[in-house]
Amino acid sequence: MTIAAIREGIATNLRTVSGLRVFEEIPDQVAPPAAIVSLNSIQYHQAFAGGLNIYSFTVRVIVGRAAERQAQRYLDLYSEPTGDSSCKSAIESNRTLSGACQDLIVESMPNIGSITVNESDYLAAEFAVTVYA
Amino acid sequence: MAKYVVTGNNVSIGGTDVSGSVARAELTITSTEVDVTDFASGGFTEVVGGLKSGSLSLDFHNDFGSGALNTVLTEDLVGTLVEIVVIAGNGSSASADTPSYTANFLINSLSPVSGAVGDLSTFSVTFPMSGTVTKAVS
Repeated sequence: MTIAAIREGIATNLRTVSGLRVFEEIPDQVAPPAAIVSLNSIQYHQAFAGGLNIYSFTVRVIVGRAAERQAQRYLDLYSEPTGDSSCKSAIESNRTLSGACQDLIVESMPNIGSITVNESDYLAAEFAVTVYA
Repeated sequence: MAKYVVTGNNVSIGGTDVSGSVARAELTITSTEVDVTDFASGGFTEVVGGLKSGSLSLDFHNDFGSGALNTVLTEDLVGTLVEIVVIAGNGSSASADTPSYTANFLINSLSPVSGAVGDLSTFSVTFPMSGTVTKAVS
């Protein structure tokens, strides 16, 4: 159970969303729609003998805002709790990440708004993912 | 041995190490107070120690995986005495700095199903001790 394996597992799950480009690290160039998996924080020592650590990841789903209405429609689809384009559903499609963790859950989509990458503006939705490993 | 921050005390139930599914352990040994106050007590109560007893409080993470907690601590054990060994000081074996405490405890409750939606499935128990506790330092 390594951070790299968890990050890769989340990315693998997200790649089941058709048309979504998924990056395990922050890319130099963003070609939307794209998802970026980022580690936020770790809570160590949640059980004796290293039995549990809790990882907080953020998945940012970025869409181009050249056509604002279309961008919002895309984010609506990616933010649905279920469905083929649902990022929550995709991330939770394999909750042990094929053995990379014990369990995970998409807690919330706490934020949606503008994001600037390489001096370009995009719309982005953030998904808070808690991983138990 | 210095003061220490708890990161990994060891807990074994019936000979199986379940430490990885334990988040808190607290062994308490107490004595009853027997009142021996009399006219010569100078207006204060006087007590002596009576019968000793103990309990072990544990916070568990439910885990039904092969060989994991819920295959060791099963519903069948409720109402029975089980030997539990706790090693203090973040130790994995008994030593002067990491003493072990061994006793039989009554498995008086379990919660194999626990937790609200979105929460880690956990449960807490307090098992009463039956008989003596043995401390080992080697």
